[in-house]
Amino acid sequence: MLACTVKFCGGCNPRYDRGEAYRRICQALSDVARFSLPEEGKTYDVLVILRGCTGCEYLYEDIPAEHRFVSVCAEDVDRIIHKIQTLSQTRGIDK
Amino acid sequence: MMTKDQYIESLRKLHLNLWMFGKKIENPVDDPVIRPSLNSFAATYELAEDPQYEDLMTATSHITGKKINRFTHMHQSTDDLIKKVKMQRLLGQQTAACFQRCVGMDAMNAVFSSTYETDEACGTHYHENFVKFLTRVQEEDLAVDGAMTDVKGDRGLSPSKQADPDLFLHVVERTPDGVYVTGAKAHQTGFVNSHEVLVMPTISMREGDEDYAISFAVPTDSEGITLIYGRQSCDTRKLEEYNDIDVGNKVYGGHEVLVIFDRVFVPNDRIFLNGEVKFAGMIVERFAGYHRQSYGGCKVGVGDVLIGATALAVEMAGAAKASHVKDKLIEMTHLNETLYCCGIACSSQGAKTKSGNYLIDLLLANVCKQNVTRFPYDIARLAQDLAGGAMVTLPSEADFRHPALHDYIDKYFKGVADVPTEDRMRILRLIENMTMGTAAVGYLPESMHGAGSPQAQRIMIARQSNMEMKKALAKKIARID
Repeated sequence: MLACTVKFCGGCNPRYDRGEAYRRICQALSDVARFSLPEEGKTYDVLVILRGCTGCEYLYEDIPAEHRFVSVCAEDVDRIIHKIQTLSQTRGIDK
Repeated sequence: MMTKDQYIESLRKLHLNLWMFGKKIENPVDDPVIRPSLNSFAATYELAEDPQYEDLMTATSHITGKKINRFTHMHQSTDDLIKKVKMQRLLGQQTAACFQRCVGMDAMNAVFSSTYETDEACGTHYHENFVKFLTRVQEEDLAVDGAMTDVKGDRGLSPSKQADPDLFLHVVERTPDGVYVTGAKAHQTGFVNSHEVLVMPTISMREGDEDYAISFAVPTDSEGITLIYGRQSCDTRKLEEYNDIDVGNKVYGGHEVLVIFDRVFVPNDRIFLNGEVKFAGMIVERFAGYHRQSYGGCKVGVGDVLIGATALAVEMAGAAKASHVKDKLIEMTHLNETLYCCGIACSSQGAKTKSGNYLIDLLLANVCKQNVTRFPYDIARLAQDLAGGAMVTLPSEADFRHPALHDYIDKYFKGVADVPTEDRMRILRLIENMTMGTAAVGYLPESMHGAGSPQAQRIMIARQSNMEMKKALAKKIARID
């Protein structure tokens, strides 16, 4: 299983439901990825950054992660799911 | 940090001397008139627990290094100032009401920097007192009311010249352990939902006003404090048998109270200004500046809800495609985002104070608030224009639920066929609530007078306008020596 974490950016003027997006990502990847909120000192395979809009470029470099996937709109969610699925396949991660 | 539930339970432990409709209120937490305002305040705790919003809702304490609620934070950068405005917009969107906690945040940031500079000039120890108070507020995640506005009596006279000396809050007795104060603070937003009150002077002071140049913090249920709850338009709809549709916003609201201090004791270590008249104006100017910035966030969030409600109302009426309707929605959005621009601009141009926290650009903050005294009224006018007359002529929910009347109302208040009449009623009542009902208190007159009436901003704009530089520019271009 891939160790994944998530950061939500802001939320003052979101263009889509970031909570729903997170739930959809977790559900779609439940076979290949385990999501949890960031814990200090822990390194992750994937950090998913769910921004509400395109207004911020911050990448949360303080959270160690091998891959960072950023969503700025609802259409990004499927793309991120696909990327994480591909990543798990290329790694041949034991389910 | 406190959770929402812990916060609500902590309020139950307060023993407020609160009065409303001629009766003492023993349990404000569960009172149907007051509870919506508590729910709004509680949202500042609830959203801080949600990972979706932690970037905006929380910060790192510069005192302890711990994670704290942003409402207790001393802004450490312009990024913090910008996040403050974004947080306020978020809360306005989530509550469609005044969530009340900004005033304490703004008061604490103003007193933090002012006490530092007072001590530097006068050799006092107010900053140390304040940091001790602030540390407790951050550690316990307390709700703080910021109390500035005195009742003021004769506006043509200074505090010490009033016929009744209590019309500005003042020191009535000094003892080795502290002071006793008497007076009243008006329009106190969120006091009933707060653990502590941070009192500040209301205007700049001059010699002779020493007893009035007083700043301090005490618990809201201190002996000698009496609260009289302010009425709001349509407030008793919350007490009716059918109190869902007609209230417009069932869950959230705001409140104001008159706070009377009758010989309230303030211990020495809770005093942050005591007679240094020269520094009263600094607290006033900085608090007003922060609070004028705040309105570029909170009212924008409430405006987002009103614009959304108006767009739904025209869709439900089948009028959404009309070009003038589209144009009016664009105008509402333009006005709302202009306010946001001002809030972000005065934040991005902020600067570090001597004490280390950041202060907004005062000119831009005053421009922000000056626009807030106008644009929400324009947005509300357009909302009422597009909502149509049914917003104020709808029958009551009690009639809608009555078997003899329900089908008539359901039939004759229908808009487009696929939207239930009840949904249309709910949206129209929400617009009524925000532009004429209980929430209009927060969205309209509070936009006019909160953080200072329009003329107060014009005075500050005049002071900060740098007119001599502008004249010099014109002379140079016109080739005048």
